[in-house]
Amino acid sequence: MTRLTTLPPAQAERLAALECPNFETTPWVTGPALSRRRVAIVSSAGLVVRGDNPFRGRAPDYRAIPADTKADELLVSHISINFDRTGFQEDWNVVFPLDRLNELAADGVIGSVAQTHYSFMGATDPVQMEPYARALAGHLKHDQVDAAILSPV
Amino acid sequence: MSALGHYLEEEGIATVAISLIRPQTENTKPPRALWVPFELGRPFGPPSDPAFQKRVILTALRLLERESGPVIIEDFPDDDPRAQPDPAWHPPFVPAAAADGSAEALAARLETEIQRLRGAYERWLAQRGRTTVGLSRLSMLDCGRWVGGKAPPSPHDGSSAPLMLRFAVDDVKAYYLEAGASGAGKPSSQQLGDWFWNETAAGAAIHALRETCLATHDERLKLIAGNFMVPAARVRGTG
Repeated sequence: MTRLTTLPPAQAERLAALECPNFETTPWVTGPALSRRRVAIVSSAGLVVRGDNPFRGRAPDYRAIPADTKADELLVSHISINFDRTGFQEDWNVVFPLDRLNELAADGVIGSVAQTHYSFMGATDPVQMEPYARALAGHLKHDQVDAAILSPV
Repeated sequence: MSALGHYLEEEGIATVAISLIRPQTENTKPPRALWVPFELGRPFGPPSDPAFQKRVILTALRLLERESGPVIIEDFPDDDPRAQPDPAWHPPFVPAAAADGSAEALAARLETEIQRLRGAYERWLAQRGRTTVGLSRLSMLDCGRWVGGKAPPSPHDGSSAPLMLRFAVDDVKAYYLEAGASGAGKPSSQQLGDWFWNETAAGAAIHALRETCLATHDERLKLIAGNFMVPAARVRGTG
């Protein structure tokens, strides 16, 4: 489990001390009931569809993952090697829970699932990701998405 | 991840973040987050456990219906049951290290090992219908030969040799860990990692490759070898 006490001391110290952006605002968007929401996954696992260019270094951009992507087509190209990949190897839902979202939509718990999902490479400085994240919001709105679940590794 | 939530929310998209490192989330103060007590790399918990995963995702999504906020940081109560070792799991057989500890002997053992594990890897493919091998787009034998010290295959797509080498190392790990998990039992990541890094020629070869690269004058290669080949917890001398 990721309690910092279970990690190697140097890694725990580095993770706890990572500089985080200090925001002056605290945005808060409300919306309809969950059963009417359209949900997208936004991952920071460095996910790429097989054949797309893997993330290089600490690239700030993102990759699109169409909703009809098959489990065999998704790879992790995150620069860090200090997180488990065996869970994802066995079952992509550990990182990219598309099957679970589709089930929740089929059961009427959520309204629908986005046409496209996205991945960044989470070791990048968040400040450099900002313009890409703001542009991504436009794509999400175009897809009528009104809820994003953010999935780290 | 929490910073992405901030930017998206400012642009009008409601977000809920899964948090793996609670202190980071507390510092960034995203609109909504669910901290989960799982190991890094498993934000939705155990593999092959749809009911558990669904509880995680639904607990997170329900935070979108809260009327009080920001900031919401909730804790998921249950640990990942797959974090425990499975005594029923046994790794596939790999030949023991020879007395001759030369680089040539290790490279030869690595090549033999890759071929021996082919059956276990193909069993994994048949069981799961997928593989996460493929970042380097090289054959596994080419990956193994490069990791074992032979000359690199030609770069492609403009990727630098150090980056390609990193992808080859990633592919070797993926091949072994998928082959290693293909038998009976549900191994924890710790069990698979112990086997790979302590018992296989591939683990030994990646350690040796890291040392060789760190001794060069190529700063980019040194950066990649030092940080992106052997996990911090497996670097010898540090735990």
